[in-house]
Amino acid sequence: MRTNLRIDTGKNWWWGIAVAAVAVAAVLLRAFDPARSGIFPPCPVRYLTGWYCPGCGSLRAIHEILHGHLWVAWAMNPLTVLLLPFLAYGLASHLLFEIRGRGLPQPYLPAVWIRALGAAIVLFGIVRNLPFHPFTLLVPGAMRHL
Amino acid sequence: MFCSQCGANNADNAWVCVQCGRSLQPGAAPAPLPVTGVVLPPGATVPNYLVFAILTTVFCCLPTGIPAIVYAAQVNGKMQAGDLAGAQQASNNAKMWCFISLGLGVLVCLLYGVLIMAGILNGIRHAN
Repeated sequence: MRTNLRIDTGKNWWWGIAVAAVAVAAVLLRAFDPARSGIFPPCPVRYLTGWYCPGCGSLRAIHEILHGHLWVAWAMNPLTVLLLPFLAYGLASHLLFEIRGRGLPQPYLPAVWIRALGAAIVLFGIVRNLPFHPFTLLVPGAMRHL
Repeated sequence: MFCSQCGANNADNAWVCVQCGRSLQPGAAPAPLPVTGVVLPPGATVPNYLVFAILTTVFCCLPTGIPAIVYAAQVNGKMQAGDLAGAQQASNNAKMWCFISLGLGVLVCLLYGVLIMAGILNGIRHAN
């Protein structure tokens, strides 16, 4: 039986560009605070609708992480802080795959876990817009004053 | 003679294929194809683009990342059910939604950059 299985052989040039882009973004995010400087674009969802999206505060969170302020980062966007280690692992695995043809060990994720993660992201985006306590604590930065 | 299932070259008087074990006798029923529990060739995966999907959802701040996550879940679900073709289809969809999110995110950044530049140029003109 033959299946049309696409096998990634690696060595894609655009990974170089992606790494360079991440490096530039990290340097800029370390140097400039997205809360004060105007060099980072605003969240389009927030700009257009006035609502917080699940990712609102993520740039500020990474800025704080790069300065070692984990608690402030958590206050900006707890979802980003929770997901960041997994994203970093996934990206490192992809990168290693491109370099040496073998990534890091990837545990199989059951489909329900991924659906639950998607639902959690959507739910987080909804509850952080609810105008009453304790959900108002999920507004970017609100928890830092606890 | 060549095996009709895997194409391996066997001795003319062979009873079974040396490579896949299929009977080489004329009239033998073809080995039933496995329906579930497909064993993938080593190193081969159907990519689900989950990392990319989450990145574009959280950092491009766009609802278009959500379908990418849903399709990523479908890839793993269909892989587990042994539906490789379905998994590949879901994988293509996940990839497409990731690129839509990324494209929109880049577009927003470019638009913002243009507006900033226009603002700066305007400021220079007024200062003169």
